[in-house]
Amino acid sequence: MKMKVFRYDKETQKPRYDVFEIEPTPGMTVLGALFYIRNNLDDTLSFRYSCRGAVCGICAVQINNVPRLACRTQINSLLEGTAEINLRNYPVEVKEKWDPREEVLVEPLPYFPIIKDLIVDKTRFFEFYNATKPVFKPADEPPKRERLMDPETVKELENYTNCILCAACVSSCPVNLKNPEYIGPAALAKLYRFHIDPREPRDDSRVLLMNNKTGWWGCEFHGNCRRVCPKGVPPIIAIGKARSRIDKIGKVPPEFSKK
Amino acid sequence: MVDYPVHSHDLVIIGGGLTGLRAAIESSKADFDVAVVSKVHPLRSHSVAAQGGINAALANAVGGEDDSWERHAFDTVKGSDYLADQDAVEIMCKEAPRAVIELEHMGTVFSRMKDGRIAQRPFGGAGFPRTCYAADRTGHNLLHTLFEQANSRDITIYPEYYVTSLVKDGGRCVGCTALNIADGTLHGFAAKAVLQATGGYGHLFARSTNALINTGDGAALAYRAGVLLEDMEFVQFHPTTLYGTNILITEGARGEGGYLYNNKHERFMKNYAPKAMELAPRDIVARAIQTEIDERRGFEGEYVHLDLTHLGADKINQRLPGIRLISMDFAGIDPIAEPISVQPGQHYSMGGIAVNTKGETELTGLYAAGECSCVSVHGANRLGGNSLLETVVFGKLVGGEIAQKLPSISKPSTEPLKEACRKESERIDKLLLREEGERVSNIREELRKMMFDHFGVFRDEKTMKEGLEKLHMLQKRFSNAYIDNKDLVFNYTLIYTLELEGMLLIAEALALGAIERRESRGSHFRTDYPKRDDEKFLVHTMAYYRDGKTELEYAPVTLGIFPVKERVY
Ligand SMILES: Cc1cc2nc3c(=O)[nH]c(=O)nc-3n(C[C@H](O)[C@H](O)[C@H](O)COP(=O)(O)OP(=O)(O)OC[C@H]3O[C@@H](n4cnc5c(N)ncnc54)[C@H](O)[C@@H]3O)c2cc1C
Ligand code: SF4
Ligand code: FES
Repeated sequence: MKMKVFRYDKETQKPRYDVFEIEPTPGMTVLGALFYIRNNLDDTLSFRYSCRGAVCGICAVQINNVPRLACRTQINSLLEGTAEINLRNYPVEVKEKWDPREEVLVEPLPYFPIIKDLIVDKTRFFEFYNATKPVFKPADEPPKRERLMDPETVKELENYTNCILCAACVSSCPVNLKNPEYIGPAALAKLYRFHIDPREPRDDSRVLLMNNKTGWWGCEFHGNCRRVCPKGVPPIIAIGKARSRIDKIGKVPPEFSKK
Repeated sequence: MVDYPVHSHDLVIIGGGLTGLRAAIESSKADFDVAVVSKVHPLRSHSVAAQGGINAALANAVGGEDDSWERHAFDTVKGSDYLADQDAVEIMCKEAPRAVIELEHMGTVFSRMKDGRIAQRPFGGAGFPRTCYAADRTGHNLLHTLFEQANSRDITIYPEYYVTSLVKDGGRCVGCTALNIADGTLHGFAAKAVLQATGGYGHLFARSTNALINTGDGAALAYRAGVLLEDMEFVQFHPTTLYGTNILITEGARGEGGYLYNNKHERFMKNYAPKAMELAPRDIVARAIQTEIDERRGFEGEYVHLDLTHLGADKINQRLPGIRLISMDFAGIDPIAEPISVQPGQHYSMGGIAVNTKGETELTGLYAAGECSCVSVHGANRLGGNSLLETVVFGKLVGGEIAQKLPSISKPSTEPLKEACRKESERIDKLLLREEGERVSNIREELRKMMFDHFGVFRDEKTMKEGLEKLHMLQKRFSNAYIDNKDLVFNYTLIYTLELEGMLLIAEALALGAIERRESRGSHFRTDYPKRDDEKFLVHTMAYYRDGKTELEYAPVTLGIFPVKERVY
């Protein structure tokens, strides 16, 4: 099979696609193939990596025009078409043609500025994260022992604490791609995680923090965030629930009110 | 001449995993200027991958109501095959409940019992549930919590800076040099104190469950600076790692009833541990699997089968969803339908930078904690759930210790840092300027394979000495290594090369330590000396790097309330 890999460096400033011939071993992932290229064919190829086990969130790239983790995507499943993710209303156009039966197209995540080959600048992603003030603020002084929590609540919370901040969702979101101010699914999911934490004050301050178009009200429910998420996080559900809560306490800003 | 930027801070912490972040939080409390320098963004540190949990005698779980720090300490010391220092173990186990409660107070969402208290599960080496967990994503939850805490404080983080050397001035450590991976520039970091929290050396071995970035840089940095490395020969091998990528397949898969089969479809554990079968201690199962493979009863000469199919789809989906996903995502195997291919793999680095219980190294101003250090709470064999505990307990303790000392230390001059940057720049240029030679990746892959084959699950004098010779050859070949990539921006091939240089260095300390330890203890199993020898080897191996050579010395083990006994389970 062939890997078609996006290349770019600051010096020449000329983007191009390099094609590498690879014999995929069983279970070989896109990250494995990138390493094969770097170790054997062309050591100038740059990409990020760490855990290679889909837990650290560092390796998200655009594979066959879908944002996914390089370490969790198997070459064979791509060629056989068993790992398809169908995005809705996705505005990112295919810049390079490829034959999905024998080629895999690997590009940097869209939305973020490209620095080198597959490496992008994620500063903006962490700015969105920080905009939600993501740190636990307990309602009361710490007791001697642990604060008690209902196992069912923990289950609900885990849906959102599972996020590994890989940024695939932001790169797949049509709203992010057209509205640079929208903080996007990952940050909103994080904010919701704190909102539903029963150990925090029950004063809705978390949901009200993003009661605007850069936050909950920017979402158009395309649902791509949930489709691409490698950890099964459903930001779209968090956004829906946050909006209902705001509605219930009568704090919907007039421009978003249905009435 | 280039003027190298020098950043001055009170404390520079190298490493943004659990240890580094916990220390940063502690030391920044007193308004000190603290910086964290890390080769990846802190959230991408290896700590994020820990699955099973963190030990603490909370006495929450049914069956563990009368748990105590003493029982935890006893299990730890016994598990260590009596090589752990009992004063360090005492500190860790006494602090454990407080440390876990504190993490809960910082916001970690631990799994809960019905009554709302933190849930605990059984882990190897303890007779009842003591391990607190956040599903099978404990490391992820802890690291995100500590990052949130550090991120909300006034702590400067330098992500994607690769530390290349420690800098000394007048016999004290005054900082370090680092390569900004994003643009290839060298920076000096001047500090009143430096704390290394750089993690383990797992990728010295082919087949490791560790993150690809765990290359033992920290041990190499310290070693080059003249600091002792302790007990480097003790390396834990996990029995079941996924064939192909060596991702961890947790003990839980056997705990839930999984069987191990060889190519004759025999449950071969009956020949090694007829009673405990698949649930015998880690080192015993690892040796059994390796024996089957070595004696040609494995598959493709590489692995055995871990069969879960008889458990049925429901049980697999309910109890082992993570394992099913890992098998499907990384090996294309659905364990409901077919067995998982597994082989033993490197899992944990017990040895490391020698420190006392305050985290101090031999070198004034330099501290170390977490997996990169050897304090030693794990001795010859670490218990599952104790290493996460070590990161937070000693991260906090050492961070606090340094904070107390900072006011009496004067600000170092920046000159030595600039000078060090100049030297490092020359070293790196030399590598980059070489136009031909041998590909770095060949040497690195050969080294890792050699270490696994010659210093792996089974060890003996002849095989290890052959290994040492191969190591010397590889070291020679490195002087002729070259890379095509000359770009300064995100040159991970260069990082790969710098890592390799350190790996070749610390491999020697490990190899010599293993050859000279003529006994079997914990993870160090010698077929030519299958018994533990307390008379000669109830000691810590201390490796020095002097005049370009490794020398060994031995230091006594700190004993305590638990007398040395045979380790039987
Ligand atoms: C698969 C797996 C599962 C595990 N599960 C458990 C478990 O259930 N329970 C348990 O107790 N333990 C477990 N462990 C062990 C535990 O995860 C580690 O021991 C622990 O997380 C180490 O933390 P640390 O902070 O010391 O180091 P790390 O988390 O490894 O952090 C090291 C840091 O140092 C930085 N660094 C390294 N070199 C350099 C350099 N040259 N320049 C700049 N920065 C550098 C890195 O960027 C990183 O930030 C597991 C390990 C593995 C492999
Ligand atoms: S929500 Fe999912 S896709 Fe988005 S950053 Fe988190 S893990 Fe990645
Ligand atoms: S390398 Fe960590 S998520 Fe892919």
